Amino acid sequence: MTLRECYDSIGADFDGAVKRMCGKESMLAKFAKKFPADPTYQGLVSAFESGDIPSAFRMAHTLKGLCLNLGLDKLQKSSSELTEALRNTESPTPNAAELYEIVKRDYEATINAINSADV
Amino acid sequence: MEKILIVDDSEMNREMLSEMLEHDYEILEAADGKEAISILKDNITCISLVLLDMIMPEMNGIEVLDVMKKSGWLVDLPVIMISAEESSDVVHKAYELGVTEFIRRPFDQLIVQKRCQNVISLYSKQKKLAGLFADQFYEREKDSRLMIDILAHIVEFRNNESGMHVIHVQNYTEILLKQLMQLTDKYDLDNDKISLITKTAALHDVGKICIPDEILNKPGRLTDEEFKIMKSHSAIGSQMLADLSFHKDEPLVKMAYTIARWHHERWDGRGYPDGLAGDDIPIAAQTVALADVYDALTSERCYKKAFSHATALEMIIKGECGQFNPLLIDCLNTAAEEMRLVKEGGSTPNAEYDVREFALDLLKSNALYSSDRLLHLLEYEKMKNRFFEGITGGCSFEYTAKSQMLTVSANAAKTLGIEETIIDPIHNEQLIGIFGKEKLRELKAKFRSLPPDNPITQYNFHIIATEKANEESSSYIFRITDVSESGVNCPASARHTVYKLICRAAFTIAEPQRYTGVIGKLVPSESEYGIMKGVDLNDLTGVL
Repeated sequence: MTLRECYDSIGADFDGAVKRMCGKESMLAKFAKKFPADPTYQGLVSAFESGDIPSAFRMAHTLKGLCLNLGLDKLQKSSSELTEALRNTESPTPNAAELYEIVKRDYEATINAINSADV
Repeated sequence: MEKILIVDDSEMNREMLSEMLEHDYEILEAADGKEAISILKDNITCISLVLLDMIMPEMNGIEVLDVMKKSGWLVDLPVIMISAEESSDVVHKAYELGVTEFIRRPFDQLIVQKRCQNVISLYSKQKKLAGLFADQFYEREKDSRLMIDILAHIVEFRNNESGMHVIHVQNYTEILLKQLMQLTDKYDLDNDKISLITKTAALHDVGKICIPDEILNKPGRLTDEEFKIMKSHSAIGSQMLADLSFHKDEPLVKMAYTIARWHHERWDGRGYPDGLAGDDIPIAAQTVALADVYDALTSERCYKKAFSHATALEMIIKGECGQFNPLLIDCLNTAAEEMRLVKEGGSTPNAEYDVREFALDLLKSNALYSSDRLLHLLEYEKMKNRFFEGITGGCSFEYTAKSQMLTVSANAAKTLGIEETIIDPIHNEQLIGIFGKEKLRELKAKFRSLPPDNPITQYNFHIIATEKANEESSSYIFRITDVSESGVNCPASARHTVYKLICRAAFTIAEPQRYTGVIGKLVPSESEYGIMKGVDLNDLTGVL
């Protein structure tokens, strides 16, 4: 599977991301390949599960930023929703846990696809 | 190559920005706000731009900006905020704190590059202009001072004197006026006005050009008739200035007139030429009169020997040279030491500093503005400090009140196991662990209360070093207690040593002096530092 096909399969915007990198597919490939090893998601998981909401908020926020840069639209959308749910760190919105599950699901799908792309 | 500091807690974000920019710039990276501040502190003169993330652990972007602003760094160093943050509150706050630009995620390489390039070139142009302006202004100012000095010197030349009289009178006038400005706002003095008075004080005796040589240089006592002629110099001088066919309305000429005419008037009305009394005599003339008398007394003349500083002061206060404004006598008393130093040629008020200050005031109404030259100077002092520190060892620290930033020497940080840069030390866990909350508060309050004229203090401390269990032998846990504290509770295995903490409070250069922070050094009590009395510290570096 090419990276483009991989992006298409997970609702990501390959062309947009490449365009922002001045047309350099190699640059997108380099960073997309690094994404599964990035510690942000693991940080989110351990913060959220241990109830450390301020850290979970920061991690969700960072994850959203990374997805924006890489054009991972679907995961960006769910992590963005989670970020907003956690923004008031004193009292997260009631659906935060639900949104967290969606982020987990989207994340798994995303890294599975990236790992199977031939780049 | 220009340097850009990228501050972001996500390594991947830093890497991505770095890749977009590394072709044109040298990239420095910081993973959190604290690291950013410490990098900035050491490299403030060579970094051209900061890319700053908003949301970070420990110290977020807003907090970093706050420290930068309070440290005066934002004047010369632009910051671009990078954020996916949509909330306009945060954006407003960031602009308020002095962010130059925003870059939103997702990063677009072209936009990132262009924005960085534009911001850097804008700032470097501004910096160049400020420098150019200050230099040109100083050149012109220097020329005009030169002309006045030459003219004054010609007058004095006939007097067979060294030419120092005019310079001394100017220096004393400036010192007295600065004191007076601090003492009262009655006379509506400011730096500009003081500069004008000081400059034109050079022309106070311009009328002497018309006094015959044999009277001017008569070694013995003047006859009544000769004295009358001598006294006419103030009226003649002012007349010469009033008769100028051009420039008559220039502030400089008006001020020169005031000083030339009335610098022999006295507070009780017994001076000449007009017998003015009290504050009917313009303050400029009153001040020059006092400066003139002090210099006449402390200098050798063809008709007298020089009196000592102390004798001159006593004679003036006793009214042996006529009555002066009591406020000016106060100023003379307060500034006596400074006057003595100038008299002995040890120091002169720094004119260049005033010009620069003026130029900067004009460009930025920001008191903390530091020009390139000053920053380089500071950088040099820091380097010197680190070098000596490396040789002599010891633990030194520096605290800046405005930014609440504590910096300790590398040695101290290593020994005590604390960070080199600590923001808000009162609430820092590591420091609380070592000193205790109460002691930290007490020290902070004590430093703040140190007066500018006696800014040095010292404390004795027990430092108790307990070896950390299960670790290398070189690792200790430190605890610090007052020597006076009875029954110091420490395990038998612990080493405890009495140390002295010698501190000096720092103040603004500009009057009125305000507390800006404190510097200090921790030294073993037995060392030679301990027996030094009135330890003198270099203001900038804290080097003993």
